[in-house]
Amino acid sequence: MILLSITVILTWVVAAILALLDGRKPWVGWFAVAGQTAGFVSLCLLAARVLANGPVEMVAGGWPEGVGITLRADALGVAFALVSCAVILASLLYEVIVGVRTRTFPALVLFLNSGLMGLFLTGDIVNFYVFFEISMTSAYILAAYREQNYQIRAAFVFAVVNLLGSVIFVVAIAGLYHLTGSLDMATVADRVKGAELASTVSVTVAIFVAFGLKIGLFPFHFWLPAVYVGSHAPVSAILAGALANIGSYGLLRFGGGILPEQSTGAALVLLILGSASILYGALQAISRRLPAEVMAYSAIGQAGYILIAIGVGGQVGYAAAVLYAIVNSANKAVLFLATGSRGRLVGAAFAVGAFSVAGVPPAAGFLSKLVLFRAGLSVGGVPGSAVLVALIFVGGALSFIYSFQVYQKTYMMTPGVEGQEEQKPSPLAVRMLLITLAALVLLGGFWPEPLLALSDAAASVLGGSR
Amino acid sequence: MTLVISLVIATIFGSGAYLVLQRNLIRVVIGMILISNASILFIIASGLSRGRPPIYPIPDGVDVSDPLVQAMALTALVISSSVTALLLSLVYRLYVSHNSVDLEVISEIEVREAEALERGEPPGSADPTRENNS
Repeated sequence: MILLSITVILTWVVAAILALLDGRKPWVGWFAVAGQTAGFVSLCLLAARVLANGPVEMVAGGWPEGVGITLRADALGVAFALVSCAVILASLLYEVIVGVRTRTFPALVLFLNSGLMGLFLTGDIVNFYVFFEISMTSAYILAAYREQNYQIRAAFVFAVVNLLGSVIFVVAIAGLYHLTGSLDMATVADRVKGAELASTVSVTVAIFVAFGLKIGLFPFHFWLPAVYVGSHAPVSAILAGALANIGSYGLLRFGGGILPEQSTGAALVLLILGSASILYGALQAISRRLPAEVMAYSAIGQAGYILIAIGVGGQVGYAAAVLYAIVNSANKAVLFLATGSRGRLVGAAFAVGAFSVAGVPPAAGFLSKLVLFRAGLSVGGVPGSAVLVALIFVGGALSFIYSFQVYQKTYMMTPGVEGQEEQKPSPLAVRMLLITLAALVLLGGFWPEPLLALSDAAASVLGGSR
Repeated sequence: MTLVISLVIATIFGSGAYLVLQRNLIRVVIGMILISNASILFIIASGLSRGRPPIYPIPDGVDVSDPLVQAMALTALVISSSVTALLLSLVYRLYVSHNSVDLEVISEIEVREAEALERGEPPGSADPTRENNS
């Protein structure tokens, strides 16, 4: 299937060329943007085909089925690939307009993108790991972008912690292989049902720890604030809006797709960890002052909502998780890019993102909160539902508080007050980009059908174990 | 055999974890090397069959070792070696800017730099190690 291979390979090839060029030259930056746009277009075509005709599959290298490595695009993978690719495109565009500072930046961003595309569109667990490492390695370097000293330390911590996560994930893959004798996701999911409970539970725990680390969930969150604060705005947007999707996608794919019985058993743990993340993230965010820091803690809280949706499980829960992850990526991209720029209209874009995080209509965040409420209500038993719905409501209220604290501190400046010297506004193109992104978030709230259809299709890939 | 391999993996992983918790960044990197190698051993150990090297021609009726785990281990080795190189370069960058590879010394210097920035002094002036050096 030619579209599938183009989507996976194109940005990789462009990135390899870019690695030889000086990224600080404007034309190189625009070349990167062109490559990323081409990748995005081919992904859109692929997504249209997948959503219309069902999953697209191909076996790499002309090997017979079951021997070669499978690339498989289904609705779940395509949904995550679309939003990640779009966020990366917006961030790259932002940085190219403002001016790239190091020669490697465009190449690294495209490598990260190609890793993500491969990861979302593969049907093989080791292939998943390899692509995952491609994008993580680029992210380690990107985290140190601009080379402030404290950023290097943050990048070092980021790399060490995430490497530990990767190691745990590799161990889980080896365990799955030993249990099932296969690396193909579909075959593994089929055969793992017959495996011994003790082994599958330990594999599941390893997978959940590994992805919990990536997504920055409550007990594994400690690395996240330092990295997001230390990083440059587009890099934070890429990390929070695209790279964090690895965690949600991995939890859905491995937890919901390959080990559904085990993750149903772990539902209570997921719900508790998710609740802890929501409350911890929101309370920490309220107590912070720097916009980037607030958003970093908010990211921990938002990850909690996704975990809760996965914990609820079934068609409703998984659909809510996918939708929440998509909307959250868009919110994070808008917010982080807005915190990095100044001038008129930026505040408006930030406000839209903040509304969306708090779940206020008509922003898309309202829709995702609504779907989450529905998932919460579908939990068996009145007390369980009541607690979940109350929690989601409290979390939303808290995020409302911290979002507007930041908004007030950053954008509502009274003229003439000391310590508020006029900052140079960002270029008009940057502000237009922000407004476009914010408009997309609003559009998602006004016209929710495509998003809902996409997340439903994605969840039905997983089958819904309940 | 399984017990021996498990013990070896556990020992290497444990030593690696101990080193990662140290303050010296070089030790942290070495700890990461040990931990990734423990995981590679684990991959090898998860092979489904044991025997001769899986190289053609294979005589009839002879067990060969699982080639798939070896391919996986090779991939993991490449990744871990390249990421180790990246980690070492980050440590070197920290050493160049702070003249130390001790995590606590580095954060101390960073706190002092941040305070100096708040007082409006140029960055780097509160860094005693750098002054001594230059």
